[in-house]
Amino acid sequence: MSENTLFITENSCKKTEGGFDIGLDDLVLTQDAATSAGSKMLAGFKSLFEARIVERLREAGYDIAGKVNIGEFGFDFLGESSYFGPVIDADGHLVTATAKLLGDSSVDAVVGLDVNGAQARAASLSGQVHLKPTYGCVSRFGTVAIACSGETVDITARSTKDVQQVLDVLAGHDDADGTSLPASECARLTTAGFAEAVGAGEAFAAPITHVKVARGLMNSADADTKQLMEAAIQTLSSEGIGVTDTASETDDLFAVANLAWNILMCAELCNNVNRFEGMKYGYHTEKYQTIDELYTKSRTEAFGYLTKVAILYGSEVLATGNYERCYDKALRIRRLVSEAFASEFAQGASAGNAAGQTAILLPACAKRAYSLADVEANPYLAFEENRFTAPAAITGLPALTAGGVQLVGPAFSDVALLRLADILTADCAGKEA
Amino acid sequence: MDRDALLGLESLNQLALTPEEQDEMLAFFAAREADWESLAQVDTANVERMVHVRPMVNVLREDVPSQPFSREDLLAQAPESMDGYWQVPRVLQ
Repeated sequence: MSENTLFITENSCKKTEGGFDIGLDDLVLTQDAATSAGSKMLAGFKSLFEARIVERLREAGYDIAGKVNIGEFGFDFLGESSYFGPVIDADGHLVTATAKLLGDSSVDAVVGLDVNGAQARAASLSGQVHLKPTYGCVSRFGTVAIACSGETVDITARSTKDVQQVLDVLAGHDDADGTSLPASECARLTTAGFAEAVGAGEAFAAPITHVKVARGLMNSADADTKQLMEAAIQTLSSEGIGVTDTASETDDLFAVANLAWNILMCAELCNNVNRFEGMKYGYHTEKYQTIDELYTKSRTEAFGYLTKVAILYGSEVLATGNYERCYDKALRIRRLVSEAFASEFAQGASAGNAAGQTAILLPACAKRAYSLADVEANPYLAFEENRFTAPAAITGLPALTAGGVQLVGPAFSDVALLRLADILTADCAGKEA
Repeated sequence: MDRDALLGLESLNQLALTPEEQDEMLAFFAAREADWESLAQVDTANVERMVHVRPMVNVLREDVPSQPFSREDLLAQAPESMDGYWQVPRVLQ
């Protein structure tokens, strides 16, 4: 397919005068437009119902600008695996359609599904703001399920203020989502709920006063990325934020978090895309003799290479003989990574910042620019460079990308993270000016 | 993972790779052995599995019959329909 398809479908309401237009990534079900999940398998598929987040946005009066191109099933590196083609910017760099549309001011925010960090990487490379909220606080009902135990609805925008504005609409309990948290907990992510919690002295509403640098992951990035991280550290320090490093034991666990996440993600993906067999949904092959041939030819013709890799890997890690050392092991490592985060958050608070919270600072990707040639040379970048986003994905903790770097905080610290990020984005704005 | 095992995995997942894709896939699986070895180095002897990232409780509700979608809407999803039913390929000769 050709390059630079930004919208899969585009609505006439795009860029209304003075409006706040929202793009939906192609994993979010809508009734008035097709939802393809970036895949030939679902190209042109129209849902009978809408995602809960779309209902919430429409009820709040937001315009839906269109369905935004994404990589197939949303788990690739930077959208390169989309059936509708990758997106290349004017400098020849690989970007996501989300980042390009926001950069061109064609939309004011994009709401989608964060499966494996693609939009966090894109936001980091584009100087935009991306939030993967605390797991369970935004309904996933009506999104195409890929890796349910870690994926969350995400928001990308040009500013922290715009992200919060959308989050205020989206956060909330939903009976239709079995992983949705109680309303009182979801409300912690809204401006109003946060303000109430500040008044009540709730721990999650305390400002983030300490940052711990994931030095091991930082050192695995290139020189430009390390320089960006050092600049962020300096900025935060100059604003009175305490900065120390994560423990070496934590670094060791962060280093394998993506290996565990790859196992869980692919296992879940393998099961979730099993429903796409060429009959009930989307594409089916034209020439076949038997039902088995129909299934096999349809899936083989419709899925891209990376999806086939994920399906086969997911199947293999669940196979008898591998289950214990792969899938079961990954679930136990998920707990260790979660406990490592908790330990870091607690240590930061006890290091003279008892009144504040602690966040982890790390890069979102290893370089400051990628080309199509990079992912052609190594089609598995999504399974390797997700080492920066996997610690948050596997634990369900909120992760905010702003000013090119990533902050991961305790559960429900989303608003506190956005406020801390104001320091980083203000610094970027100042430099651009 | 050898080619025969890969063929079995393909069959199980209703996929048919080209010989070139099989070569790439075998290299991918060979690299994953190193991943699994790295994971094996992490001591998880006394660690409980963590299936859900947040504490979850099973939510139950009354099982109330309803008709959320009309027959017409559902048939519109079918590649082909006949006499108000989905038309599917013949599977019995």
